[in-house]
Amino acid sequence: MTTTAIETSVDSSRALHSVARKTKIVGSALVGPALILVVAINVLPAFYGFYLSLRQVFFFADEGYVGLQNYVDLFRDPFAWQAIGRSLVFTFGSLAIAVPLALVSAMGIRRLGNWGSILLTVLLVPWAMSPIVVALLWKWILVPSPGGLVGAIFAASGVPPQDLLTDPVLAMPTLILIGVWRNFAFAAIILTGGLGQIPRDLYKAAAVDGLGAWEAFRKITLPLLAPSLLIVISMLTISYFNEVQTIIGLTGGGPIRQTTTLGYLLYHTGFVELDQGRGNAIAIVMFMINMLLIALYIKILGKQPGAAA
Amino acid sequence: MSIGKLDRRTVLKLGAASALLPALSGIALAQGQSGTIRIWTFLSAEGQSPREVVLRELIEKFTAANPGVSVVVEAQPFQELETKFVAASAQNRAPDIIWMRDTFLDLVNQRGALANLDDELSAGFQSDVIPDLYPVFAEKSVMDGVRTSLPLWPSPAQILFYRKDALAEIGLDAPPLTWEEFIPVAGKLTSGDRLGFGLPTNDNSVSAFINMMTGFGPGIFDAATGQFDVTGPEAVETANVVRQLVAAGALSSTLLNAMGDDIQDQFAAGRFAIVQAFAPRFAQYKSIAAAYDPNDLAVSAWPAFGDRPPAVLLGPYWTVGVSAKSENKAAATAFVEALYTPEASMQWAEVAGLVPDRRSVQSDPFFSTPEAESIAVFNALLDAPGALTFPPKLPDITKVFPIMNTALQELIGTDEDVGAILERAKATLGW
Repeated sequence: MTTTAIETSVDSSRALHSVARKTKIVGSALVGPALILVVAINVLPAFYGFYLSLRQVFFFADEGYVGLQNYVDLFRDPFAWQAIGRSLVFTFGSLAIAVPLALVSAMGIRRLGNWGSILLTVLLVPWAMSPIVVALLWKWILVPSPGGLVGAIFAASGVPPQDLLTDPVLAMPTLILIGVWRNFAFAAIILTGGLGQIPRDLYKAAAVDGLGAWEAFRKITLPLLAPSLLIVISMLTISYFNEVQTIIGLTGGGPIRQTTTLGYLLYHTGFVELDQGRGNAIAIVMFMINMLLIALYIKILGKQPGAAA
Repeated sequence: MSIGKLDRRTVLKLGAASALLPALSGIALAQGQSGTIRIWTFLSAEGQSPREVVLRELIEKFTAANPGVSVVVEAQPFQELETKFVAASAQNRAPDIIWMRDTFLDLVNQRGALANLDDELSAGFQSDVIPDLYPVFAEKSVMDGVRTSLPLWPSPAQILFYRKDALAEIGLDAPPLTWEEFIPVAGKLTSGDRLGFGLPTNDNSVSAFINMMTGFGPGIFDAATGQFDVTGPEAVETANVVRQLVAAGALSSTLLNAMGDDIQDQFAAGRFAIVQAFAPRFAQYKSIAAAYDPNDLAVSAWPAFGDRPPAVLLGPYWTVGVSAKSENKAAATAFVEALYTPEASMQWAEVAGLVPDRRSVQSDPFFSTPEAESIAVFNALLDAPGALTFPPKLPDITKVFPIMNTALQELIGTDEDVGAILERAKATLGW
């Protein structure tokens, strides 16, 4: 190699380094403000919440360091375990209905073309509504007397009023259905996008190979939809597991704690009982469970062939 | 003396006058008031409910008399008033005036968030107005010898509202006043889609169970601790009454977590014959009546146990205080005082159907008219021998109502042993 060639190589290497450094600076400058905001709004309060979970805080008065006592008390409380169980029932009960419904809707919407887009926009309205407005709306719909919509339908059918939100057996299924109603269209939008990413040629090839509709769905659609499904399931899990506003508005955690999820227990402990130390301990536990579930999804769905797409 | 040449005495006089000027202007300001007063209440200044209409009129009157003062109402959810106030006080952003429930007075006082009104209220108010308020409420606002709030809208709080037309169906004018007689009557009132009795069982500041227990009189509260015996014979007897009401068909075993607002709406729609309700909402209940004639709405005390007098629990009720950190205490206190003028008391009574805060105005001819009939009933309840208040320092105030409500839900909705339910409530309370 001649001296000139070596010099040229060194020069171009320096130039590349310089470009890389500049790119890093520009990138940092662009991401920096957002990062500072995330740290200020999410990370610092999370650390402060953890700090408070190690202290006895009642009605805004810090009564001192208690170590892990708030966690010990929480895990010794049978109602807390029941709340974790109900959170999982609410989360997976809602997911079990919302995700298939969203998938069917997404496929239907793609077939309907422009009309499908209009339908999706209409279905998206509940998702865009404030949860507390959703609660008030459904409370009116479910009033167990002729003044309520469902009550009127029951009355017209000769069925006596049903206490859907105050019956210990019916309250949780009713909440799940309202949760599905509120969120499935959002999931459908993401899945519609995901379906659009799947090359149509694959279906043509499958048809040539003699694959039926069900097999094509199972062997092409589902695997290639895995990334979208991962997003949908993760987001809905977080949304359902942390749901609290509609529960406050619709059932107040009752009847007989039947809808007291961990999210509602957090609200009740921190904002009604004003035991803010223990409330923060519940928040940390909720965060850990959320992370655990998402890690589980990534492990399961991440193995699908389309996950790398 | 020429203008250009001032003698020493004149200079001294001018100096003294200039020194006095700020003090004199201060007196003038104190009389006229100035600045902005922020009020936190559950009422909205733009609302249309009777109490909101009166509040708006009182603000307009106050600002007309004190043109330098601006009154800003920042409505808050009523369950959050005390919590938000203490949090805001700790962060030096508390409103000047706060509406709060009497049951939270002790906790809020412990945080030092309320001003000592003994230092703020005018001498005239202290000598003339406070003695004119209902003593039972006025005295309860004094904690450890210090007055930090004033009671507003004296009322029997949570009492029974009933439909006279429903009672008439079974040949009665009013509900019986002992539980023994009440249970079968409430059962008979259940007819078709209508239930005989409706109780809110999911509010965080009201407990129907405690209201029922007051049928044993004020002795249920321990004088030293403020606690009641959650598993004692009175509580067990109360729990048995609940079970008998369910067995008689008066209470629905599937209507378990209704809140006060739910009961109100469903009562208006005709779902109940008798309900537990908040007395100051009487006018509102009349205005939203859909399934019955508003004139058929009436109020009653709670039935009692044995030969005790019918029970009337005077609380939780609203009190008004001034923030300890208010930078405009003079104007804030002046506004608070304006809520208690005889004219204000008449407005609360005439527009909102409330018992007037000032007892002296009850000589007004209005109180002999049919429109004031309910106020006369409320007055009689306030003076009833079975009337009592919560102890000044009811412990675990943030927990006791929700826990007793869950116990009540379990009593209504399950067959579990009464003793086990009450034991669990006691254990959860840690009493």
